[in-house]
Amino acid sequence: MTKKEISLTINGTEHELEVEPRKLLVHAIREDLDLTGTHIGCDTGNCGACTVYMDGQAVKSCLTFAVQADGSEITTVEGMEDHPDAGMGESDLHPIQEGFREMHGLQCGYCTPGMIMSARALLEENPDPTEEEIRESISGNLCRCTGYQNIVKAIQYAADVMNGREPPESPVEHGEAAEPEAASDGGTPMCEADDCCMDVDTDFEPPGGDHK
Amino acid sequence: MKAANFEHHEPETIEEAVSLLESLDEPTILAGGQSLIPMLRFRLARPDTVIDLNGLTELEYIREDDGHLKIGALARHVDVEESAIIDRNYGSFADAAPLIADPQIRNQGTVAGSIAQSDPKGDWGTVLLAHDGEVVAQGPDGERTIPAKDFFLLPYDNMLGEDELITEIRVPESGSNEGSAYHKLKRKVGDYAMAGSAARVRLDGGVIEDADVALTAVDITNIAVDEAAEELEGERPSADLFREAGKIAAEQSNPESDEHGSAAYKRNMVRVLTQRALADATERATQDGPAADFGTDQLTPEGMAAEGD
Ligand SMILES: Cc1cc2nc3c(=O)[nH]c(=O)nc-3n(C[C@H](O)[C@H](O)[C@H](O)COP(=O)(O)OP(=O)(O)OC[C@H]3O[C@@H](n4cnc5c(N)ncnc54)[C@H](O)[C@@H]3O)c2cc1C
Ligand code: FES
Ligand code: FES
Repeated sequence: MTKKEISLTINGTEHELEVEPRKLLVHAIREDLDLTGTHIGCDTGNCGACTVYMDGQAVKSCLTFAVQADGSEITTVEGMEDHPDAGMGESDLHPIQEGFREMHGLQCGYCTPGMIMSARALLEENPDPTEEEIRESISGNLCRCTGYQNIVKAIQYAADVMNGREPPESPVEHGEAAEPEAASDGGTPMCEADDCCMDVDTDFEPPGGDHK
Repeated sequence: MKAANFEHHEPETIEEAVSLLESLDEPTILAGGQSLIPMLRFRLARPDTVIDLNGLTELEYIREDDGHLKIGALARHVDVEESAIIDRNYGSFADAAPLIADPQIRNQGTVAGSIAQSDPKGDWGTVLLAHDGEVVAQGPDGERTIPAKDFFLLPYDNMLGEDELITEIRVPESGSNEGSAYHKLKRKVGDYAMAGSAARVRLDGGVIEDADVALTAVDITNIAVDEAAEELEGERPSADLFREAGKIAAEQSNPESDEHGSAAYKRNMVRVLTQRALADATERATQDGPAADFGTDQLTPEGMAAEGD
């Protein structure tokens, strides 16, 4: 079968590729261009881990052939740091990336690149979304471990930064205090965050009585 | 899994696409790819050649003209969602669009592709049936128009010839005395329907002059329920009338039990969704009549739930 010459502009750099028509865009991005930030989580178009921002829209790169993307402009998670809005917050990151870090919007991080690209598509079109609109915008992205609360908060954080509002304080402590120190002597680990281990309600009893 | 290899063709005009369909050996059409690409990856489809319609920019439109709402074959689900014409006058289209899959898939998938896919769980076929719409197909012998009521044959099978493509989906223009609505039941966001119901009514002097009811995911294709339409036509809209029409729709549906629910449950949901769709459609058809007038009796299963599994 004949291969096709295509050109993809990814994160501002133009790439000329020769691909079989059956090659999915996600495989061209990950395997040919070595941009492995874009993930593959399913075979069925359900999970959204492969979401990229293509010609102004979020699309699932596992439901697009690379030949269909010929001539298009694509951003992947690797390009977020070079976005003009990067550095608006407290770091060099894009405010959405910073939001995920500050608001604990990830645990394993598998879904995060796709979430970030869906959030970017939302904020480009609707810079100050409601919670409902945020939830709708990530409805094609599954997260199996963080839960969606902090992901929503991460995107709200980004909207705050991008609209010149003070974002909420991070529940995550950075720097020295992030390492639990006291555990080495067998004592209770304490992270010194205001609302974390120090504040554990020790009178709490789990429902259902005895736990053995 | 990777798709088997294929030759990729990108026609730029409808004529070019038709001549490719005629000359190539069993080609497959690619539109939004949101159904076809998974099928190719699972090798449920293994075409040697794929004709990619995405270069046919002349098919990217939604417009009212010639007494019809016309949806070009490259209009995406998101275009319907964002169309002012649809928002104003075509309630069931406006209801269905945001309930399909998720934002990424709606950015790519097309209405025509969904009709061509002819999945009994797809939403657009039901909306098209409720609007008494038509499928416009183009082939070597020129253009022909297939009424939606004749179009769907079996799951994933329809009246389209091997060498034809859909160029347009169209429905009669909706007047100010007309309203439609679509209600869909699904387990969670992004899912296909467990059951869905679309209703359309046209009023004349307070009487229902013309009506249609159609259903999703409760038979081997999307189906129109003519018996429910007959019950409605010539009558004044009322909660009792809609209850009756809902019962008829439930009786005419033919759902199967699966992991999402029993057949009896789905049939009861058809009854409820149909009542709700009729109430919304009628509210939209009357300038100032509140929906509450046509109350929807959402909770009383009227014996249907008691049928058992
Ligand atoms: C995770 C997921 C969830 C989904 N949820 C829903 C849902 O809730 N409701 C729903 O209705 N759909 C749903 N879909 C399907 C989606 O709406 C597809 O977009 C649609 O079924 C097919 O449209 P397409 O443009 O992507 O067509 P394609 O995938 O490109 O094509 C589908 C079929 O139609 C044929 N075809 C396409 N265009 C034409 C044409 N113009 N003429 C002739 N033949 C043509 C192709 O050859 C192929 O056989 C879902 C899909 C996924 C992956
Ligand atoms: S990998 Fe694309 S949706 Fe799961
Ligand atoms: S952070 Fe693990 S899947 Fe979302």
